[in-house]
Amino acid sequence: MKKTSMVVFATIASLFLLSWIVKGMFSEGSSPYLDGFLVTLAAFLTLAIMSFLYKDNPYYKFAEHLFVGVSAAYAMCLGFWSTIVGNLIPRLSSTVSDFFQVNYIEGDYNIFFVIPIIFGILLLMRLSPKAGWLSRWPLAFIVGTTAGLNFVRYLRSDFINQINSTIIPLLIDWNGFGDFFSNMNFSATGQLVMMFSNLVIFVGVVCGIIYFYFSKEHTGWFGRASKVGIWILMITFGASFGYTVMGRISLLVGRITFLFKDWLEIIS
Amino acid sequence: MLSPLMAITVQDIGITVSLVFILLGLAWLAWRSFSGKEVDRRIIFLFIFFSVAMPVIFKISFKFKATPIVNALYEKIESLPNNSTVLISYDFDPAMAPEVQPMADALSRHCLSRDIKIVYMCLFPTGQGQLEQTFSTVVRNEFPEKQDGIDFVNLGYKAGGEGVLNVIVTDFEKMFPTDVNSVPYSEIPIFDNIKSCKNLDLIISIGGGRPGIKEWVLFVGDPGNIPMAAGVAAVVAPQLYPYYPNQILGLLGGVKGAAEYENRLRDSDPKFADMPTPATTMMGPQTLAHIVVMSFIIIGNILFFRNRKRGEIS
Amino acid sequence: MKVKLLFAVILLLLLSSLSFAQDDSAEIDTSAVVEELVLPAPPGNLSGVDKPNDHGHSIDLSWELSPDDGGGLNTVLQYDIYHWVPNLMLELNLVRDSISVIQKIIRKTTNGIIEGSQADSMKKVFEKLSRSELFDVRNSLTEYVKKGNKGLAEACKSYPEGGAWLFLDKKPSGTSTFDHIGSKEFKSSGFVPDFANLYYRVDAVTADGAKASSNILGPIQSSGQWYNTFRTPVVFSVLLFTLLTVFFVQKARKGADLYVRPLGGIEAVDDAIGRATEMGRPILYVLGLGSAADIATIASFTILGRVAKKVAEYQTELLVPTYDPIVMTVAQEVVKSAYLDAGRPDAYKEDTVHFVTQSQFAYVAAVNGIMLRELPATNIYMGKFFAESLILAETGALAGSIQISGTDEIAQIPFFIVACDYTLIGEELYAASAYLGKEPVLLGSLKAQDYAKAAIIVLAVIGVILAQFDFGTEFVNLFEVVN
Repeated sequence: MKKTSMVVFATIASLFLLSWIVKGMFSEGSSPYLDGFLVTLAAFLTLAIMSFLYKDNPYYKFAEHLFVGVSAAYAMCLGFWSTIVGNLIPRLSSTVSDFFQVNYIEGDYNIFFVIPIIFGILLLMRLSPKAGWLSRWPLAFIVGTTAGLNFVRYLRSDFINQINSTIIPLLIDWNGFGDFFSNMNFSATGQLVMMFSNLVIFVGVVCGIIYFYFSKEHTGWFGRASKVGIWILMITFGASFGYTVMGRISLLVGRITFLFKDWLEIIS
Repeated sequence: MLSPLMAITVQDIGITVSLVFILLGLAWLAWRSFSGKEVDRRIIFLFIFFSVAMPVIFKISFKFKATPIVNALYEKIESLPNNSTVLISYDFDPAMAPEVQPMADALSRHCLSRDIKIVYMCLFPTGQGQLEQTFSTVVRNEFPEKQDGIDFVNLGYKAGGEGVLNVIVTDFEKMFPTDVNSVPYSEIPIFDNIKSCKNLDLIISIGGGRPGIKEWVLFVGDPGNIPMAAGVAAVVAPQLYPYYPNQILGLLGGVKGAAEYENRLRDSDPKFADMPTPATTMMGPQTLAHIVVMSFIIIGNILFFRNRKRGEIS
Repeated sequence: MKVKLLFAVILLLLLSSLSFAQDDSAEIDTSAVVEELVLPAPPGNLSGVDKPNDHGHSIDLSWELSPDDGGGLNTVLQYDIYHWVPNLMLELNLVRDSISVIQKIIRKTTNGIIEGSQADSMKKVFEKLSRSELFDVRNSLTEYVKKGNKGLAEACKSYPEGGAWLFLDKKPSGTSTFDHIGSKEFKSSGFVPDFANLYYRVDAVTADGAKASSNILGPIQSSGQWYNTFRTPVVFSVLLFTLLTVFFVQKARKGADLYVRPLGGIEAVDDAIGRATEMGRPILYVLGLGSAADIATIASFTILGRVAKKVAEYQTELLVPTYDPIVMTVAQEVVKSAYLDAGRPDAYKEDTVHFVTQSQFAYVAAVNGIMLRELPATNIYMGKFFAESLILAETGALAGSIQISGTDEIAQIPFFIVACDYTLIGEELYAASAYLGKEPVLLGSLKAQDYAKAAIIVLAVIGVILAQFDFGTEFVNLFEVVN
């Protein structure tokens, strides 16, 4: 270890200890030093992750690996307790249910529930280099059922229902040009705005699809429509980008609030 | 009568200080980049950090008017009769929480104050912890008279994503034989007349990942013809707009959507005047950060076009 | 033997309390005329049908509003809906309740039982039993309910003798329909048997509690349907789309020349390889984080094959760091055969395609390192990308490489667009792969999708025109998928 890294480590460790002690002394609750430790640890991990913006460093790596490890383990434990213990065992055996202290569901016993056990074990065969091919069977089952299930759902929600939503009148409450201009209304739900929205939806859908139509060269009017399509796509991506910025800033605000409020207590 | 000087609040000073800092910083950045010098990216990170941190310290906040897509959800909840049942699904983890937890809290508060029953569940394992937060800050804290099992129920987490949804659209009990406290389904009064999602008056999914709102629409909302609404993290909001208004009746997108909902709620009834508004608080830093980001984009584009004109970029 | 005896005793006990239960239900049904109350006019013409397109166990009811609802005396507050059940059903409900009490005792969750209630008296009987006896009795009772349910349809025939009217639900004034959705689970107290004679009645109720009954509807039977007519549009589109796909895949297999328009991003690949050769710098190809089963990764393999072939011809260096071991194996095969096709198997090096790590950000760090050390002339990102998309593309842009990307992850496309020179947006990635690979399955499904898209355009245009002239609803109904 280099001298500078030792100094950095010592500084961070002493700051951590200081924060722990100070937080422990001033926090109210049944276990002040435990609370103090937890808040300090959370603050340390937050700062460790943020330190990546300066440059890659061991503290960032530590925090990242900790996060990956903890979330994987948490997901695994929860998966075991909610899927195997929560869903499967209560339908299979009252003795095992009693062992795990879950309610045995009377009358729900079904021999078919043995199949998922077998498939689950086959899936774990992946870990064995010799019997790894066995895991393809349950995978095939998963892929097949998911594809079948999704095919119908997507076709219905993202295809048929979306066509349904595109079928909208372009002229709303139309009583001729004169009437339209003399009664022009700029409110968000007014005739003008609604007509414009419907036009954007219709043109956007048609031109967007034309852009993704690969069987015809994009020349002439078709090419122009496809140009409109790409513009609409770009605007969508811009909106998406903007939303992402907002989302990321929200997370930053969340972390900064944590640091200032829960850790440093400079705001209430 | 207060003199004009007396009327100046901490917030005004905060806004002024923050804006001066941001303007000076931007001017420096613009000057540096226009004179052709590199700006270290870490300076930009630091600049963003301070632009966000100062409004947090000074608690700068603004008022928001609900857009139609947010208002639609508010009006839907307002129009539900007492004793209706709404399902709120917590499909998010702590990483998304700063954005969507405020929505979840505001929606729970709105429903409970209107004597609407709530069924809580989650499709994300870590949603359970977030649910607990709503319980401690809103449900038990603000509505101590509401009873578990009668006015609300917590079904907890169930693994399986789409699989869970595919079952509960026709049968709740099959997937949730008990609630999170191991009370059997048949003994929970809220479920007396509820056999499946089809008996619910509204489903609100709050999330941003997978499984999330899209799966709810695909597997529950559309097949069961059940009114659906959503509160989502900003990243996925644009992808959900096509479902509005036919497949989801309202959408809260990111912190902005949450802030709009909080403001709508607070303006509607004096009893909400003192409610916590975390999303509105977050929109102060958000707004200033957006000014900074937009300025970056403008400066960057001016530089890009200037350099292109000079022939430095082909 | 002992258990059977016990079961018989308990059953007897339960059935003897049935008279009490019947009184109870009679109490709910107080349609007897109370003299001083002004009766509302009864709702008329109660009719019902088996709920269409369902799994059975449900009846849709409808009636004409009472003349005093919204008009006349305007006194109707709500409608109470009743259905007639045979005594057997009441008896079974009682047994179901007792099963529930036994369950509670087994689980030690009896604190919810109200003192003095029917459940409380059952509790007092059962608490004297041992645990194993409780299990036995519970199983026998469940079996009894199961058997009893089979006799329900027969028992329903005795109407109007040997049964009682049970309150179902209330509906506010102004409502004239009610869907009685029964449970299909025999364990549930809301169980409604299929193919049994069911009888219904609707009472108009005033605020004072005066009631007037409608005609009695029945006998009516519920049943399940095999085919849900509401879903016809889905069946139709599934069939059409499948047929189109099969047709075009077959056509492509027979060697028909199916046109796919050239894509900007793909043509740029050739130029970029030329540029790398001129500069004498390598080409970096990133397959993304997807597994070998993801369509985006499969499409990426085809493009990698094409790139590798060109690279072999020009004798440029190719770097393919991978995230997934299976993807690595497939990619190695793809590159090897591309070098063979180009007639340069000798130039192929085993470590062209190499495995890095299966940790997202560690992988990104490694690839970024390659970009900064090797300074590739061209970076190509094709496949599935997540949060790492911008980190990769940004580093590449800083290193001054030409960058071409393609992904079907919609959320990541904006990042690629801003940081790369060319981006294949969503489906363009598949199209590019079909265009380059001429693989019949890819080409055929791409063609089928194109026809589906054409159909959407045509339908949308027709729909909008019809909607303008108010024929929209009929047309839209064709696409209405309800349950």
